[in-house]
Amino acid sequence: MSKYTVNVNGQTHSVDVTADTPLLWVLRDSLGLVGTKYGCGIGECGACTVHLNGSPTRACQTPISEVGRSEVTTIEGIDAAGKHPLQQAWCDLDVPQCGYCQAGQIMSAAALLKRNPRPTDADIDKMMAGNLCRCASYVRIRAGIKRAAELASAGTANGGRS
Amino acid sequence: MKRLLESSSAGLDRRAFIKVGALAGGGLLVGTYLRFGPSSAFAESLPATADAFTPNAFISIAPSGAISIIAPNSEMGQGIKTSLPMIVAEELDVPFEQVTIVQGDLNPAYGRQMSVGSQSTPSNYAPLRRAGATARAMLVSAAAQTWGVPESECATEKGAVVHLTSKRRATYGDLAVKAATVPPPADAPLKDPKDFKLIGTRVPGVDNKKIVTGAPLFGIDVKLLGMLYATYTKCPTFGGKVVSANVDEVKKRPGVRDAFVLDGIEGLTPGVAIVADSTWNAFSAAESLKVQWDAGPVSSQSSAEMARQAEQLAKSTPPAPLPAGAKVVEATYHYPFLAHATLEPQNCTALFRNGVMEMWTPTQIPASGQGLVTRGLGLQPKDVVVHITRLGGGFGRRGSNEFSIEAAAIAKKLEGTPVKLMWRREDDFGHDNYRSNGWHYFSAGLDNSGKVVTLHDAFVKMQGGPGDMSAGGFPFIVIPGSQVKSSKLPPGIPTGYWRAPGDNGNVWATQCFVDELAHAAGRDPLAFTLDLIAAAPAGTGRGFDPAKMTTVLKLATEKAGWGKARPRGEGQGFAITHTNNAYVAIVADVTVSREGELAIKKLTAVVDAGTIVNLSAAENQVQGAMLDGISAAWFQKITIANGAAAQTNFHDYRMLRMNHAPPVVEVQFIKSSAPPTGLGEPGLPAAAPAVCNAIFAATGVRVRTLPIIDGSLKWS
Repeated sequence: MSKYTVNVNGQTHSVDVTADTPLLWVLRDSLGLVGTKYGCGIGECGACTVHLNGSPTRACQTPISEVGRSEVTTIEGIDAAGKHPLQQAWCDLDVPQCGYCQAGQIMSAAALLKRNPRPTDADIDKMMAGNLCRCASYVRIRAGIKRAAELASAGTANGGRS
Repeated sequence: MKRLLESSSAGLDRRAFIKVGALAGGGLLVGTYLRFGPSSAFAESLPATADAFTPNAFISIAPSGAISIIAPNSEMGQGIKTSLPMIVAEELDVPFEQVTIVQGDLNPAYGRQMSVGSQSTPSNYAPLRRAGATARAMLVSAAAQTWGVPESECATEKGAVVHLTSKRRATYGDLAVKAATVPPPADAPLKDPKDFKLIGTRVPGVDNKKIVTGAPLFGIDVKLLGMLYATYTKCPTFGGKVVSANVDEVKKRPGVRDAFVLDGIEGLTPGVAIVADSTWNAFSAAESLKVQWDAGPVSSQSSAEMARQAEQLAKSTPPAPLPAGAKVVEATYHYPFLAHATLEPQNCTALFRNGVMEMWTPTQIPASGQGLVTRGLGLQPKDVVVHITRLGGGFGRRGSNEFSIEAAAIAKKLEGTPVKLMWRREDDFGHDNYRSNGWHYFSAGLDNSGKVVTLHDAFVKMQGGPGDMSAGGFPFIVIPGSQVKSSKLPPGIPTGYWRAPGDNGNVWATQCFVDELAHAAGRDPLAFTLDLIAAAPAGTGRGFDPAKMTTVLKLATEKAGWGKARPRGEGQGFAITHTNNAYVAIVADVTVSREGELAIKKLTAVVDAGTIVNLSAAENQVQGAMLDGISAAWFQKITIANGAAAQTNFHDYRMLRMNHAPPVVEVQFIKSSAPPTGLGEPGLPAAAPAVCNAIFAATGVRVRTLPIIDGSLKWS
């Protein structure tokens, strides 16, 4: 076990874990930030997507020893009040079914919208194909991303941290 | 709730909790008991206000005006945590946004607490309407008594009783203390469905805010003070046992607190438990686990061998001779084993203390988990407390409760310490209760006019589990002399309920074969199918109503523009199903490139599911179920090799993703005031055959083996 300092959602935390511990389990078990989900442990499902310095990253494939001074943003950090355009759109359109994948979906979509504020269907398909929705709420996820893009451009929702 | 949590942290005796819980049938309701740390705002419970009006187990109205409604059944994405309380709120006549929804624990007072068979809404609809209406009637009585006016002069609106002539108004909170003294009426009047204000509207899921902000909600999110984390490793071969394991070495791994073999417990598959101070340390330690297994007899089973056995079995039941001169149409359809692959792997948190096992479980049938633990560990039902968490997907997987008995058995060894058992994804793929594989060997005869004069199906599946076939369903019921002869492969591979059991594979096979028959008869599949439906006597084959089926099929094909000429490579197909008493017709529009690349352009569904409680959730369910069915048919397959599942994770078990999801998925419900049917499953079975029939229309290639990706759709 070793001590690591991580910057998560603008706060600095000290954790004592083995060097190979994935960021996913540091967030969930050490820091109690359970919004980031475990789905596969091999980077295939996207349920653990967080941002590392703004880039979408699979937390299950990111050992704590490689996080260093990177700024980690989780679903809890994009807007705790739920006012990020994607969060608003997800609630407006009732996107979730079971909801388990949705934190990962939102984190991937947030990264997409940051790079591409008006994504086409093809852009959405390409970016979001890494996030499995077992309930197959894809129709509403797609609609949710478009709604969020509208909300963001109209400036009616908080831009969020990420 | 606050008061209880405080007293619990002060160490209230475990049995006292159970006694408080047992009062739930009469009045005071207690949800969550203890030990959630400050960061885990996970606990939910009805406010335990002593002077609250609690006319039944589902409703609490505090004098402050706070109204809480219990959601009795497990929420797994089907929207039941929102839609069941909507039924209560409708009859109680309260604005839904003013109500706090509370997930109920396992409690006999809540009636049928199972999220299976699409029965949560049909079975709870009438009781929950009565629960709401009874409370409303008592509040009206309380107001009438208070004002000294006849009840007939009083009405309710938006959580208040009004005296129509004097315009006096009292909120339900104002009336709570008085209402608690009113005897409940035996037959409180129910609303006329035409007066519904809430039922039939679009209400977003009550947990959406928590979901989008990452708040603790699911079984995996449970965190108790001092909690340890466990893995449980079972023999990869089904039915295998532990001979020996290097538990002493495993105990030396970082963070490991204990490691031991569990065997000889009824209902528990033998295995090795590793308990550590974090999930990762438990997972890591499991990598160093070396077990000598006794693989047992199932190790000789394989998918290839099963296919050989299925053919032998089918050939041993030859069809009856066809009428002279009949045109013979024969085809064999095969679907594979499927995993459920809930995105939240199986898990359960358990604490054994003072003789009581308390569990936090993402389960579809909490009573089954309680039963397993009761029998396996020799406890009394009253000493096995089950809290229901939100489920990260169900699909039938969480009806069996292996994770409950595993977690409880581990927690019993660590008395006094809460333990979260977490299955790795590989455990989940390797130890599912799979959808059984199946084979249909069809043979049919057509007369000169293209009429089907006989239909024979030699059907083979695994022994045990759901999915049996009979000649009582559509289309067999409408074809004279139809025969279904079922044969079973030897048991060994665990099979179980997978969304729309039976129908999920059998409707695919039969609806594709009906399409084959239509083409063999030289007829338009729509006209051919409408004729078959019309021939069905009403009320036969699971209560089949030909008029309802005709309506949904005609409307769906009309909406989708059935019958238009299309170039090669583009095709339209449809299929129908009568599942959980709902009627569903689905039309698929596909394109297939010459190289055989499939794209689904549009799905059009029309559904008669009786009364729709929550239109938003209902639409989400049907869209999701259709894509779930297509995902399974297009990509999914569990292969058995050496008595074990060959697939281990999402890299070799492909599922539908955004890039393959159709851009347009339309769902229309038939307006109805009939009682609600099931809706979590009916959208699934007809989706895959609609797509396969569309592939045939586009290419002339008939898909008779699933998954679709295993075959070629090339055409020239």
